[in-house]
Amino acid sequence: MSSKPYIWYCKLDKMTKPKYLFPYNSRFIGIVLILIHIPVKLLWDSHYPGGYGHNNPAANGTETPLFSPPHLFFIGTTLMVLVGLFLIAFSKEKIEDEQIVQLRLDSLRWAIYLNYAILLFSLIFTHGSDSKHILMLNIWLPLLFFILRFQWVLFRLSRSVKSDETKL
Amino acid sequence: MKNNIRIERAIKNITQAELAEQVGVSRQTINTIESNKYIPSTLLALKIARIFNKTVEEVFSLEEND
Repeated sequence: MSSKPYIWYCKLDKMTKPKYLFPYNSRFIGIVLILIHIPVKLLWDSHYPGGYGHNNPAANGTETPLFSPPHLFFIGTTLMVLVGLFLIAFSKEKIEDEQIVQLRLDSLRWAIYLNYAILLFSLIFTHGSDSKHILMLNIWLPLLFFILRFQWVLFRLSRSVKSDETKL
Repeated sequence: MKNNIRIERAIKNITQAELAEQVGVSRQTINTIESNKYIPSTLLALKIARIFNKTVEEVFSLEEND
């Protein structure tokens, strides 16, 4: 009987703790990964001017073996940006509290709504290879929308607190 | 929902930052709760009330339209 409240307490504690988030510093790894992709892309473009694109060679329809240069390029750019954005988007804030959790959830919903609205709209008005490019963009566009919206909300929050302080 | 955290803080003579640290949230969260922009969870409301040695009802109260 006496252990029951303790179990409840543990459950409550687990509920309020943020789950499935990367440590705060992993956002910097994310930024580095995105920055690294720029020289890789530039080097590739100077090597193959107008050649292989920023695409997954498998999706491109061309038969390229695994870990061939185009495939490595795909890993080094698109996937690196994807992982980088993922780390930035889902790393903890310095102080993770319930308001941050709520703002993150709000931003995520906002990003998904916006992304699918744009996706639907652009799929209606495009065809052929353009549609494929739009779907390719959708690998990382929702993450980008989420990061921008979440950071904007956090910025607005800290600004409103600062303006309150000057009033007091 | 309205609250009198600002008054309670003045009585206890602690800043938003100090209260935030004691209940384990950010200063922004205390600020937005004080200015009625954010409604805290039951857990956080209980923690805040405990700091002031008050019951939750003494610190937080419902408004007409709630």
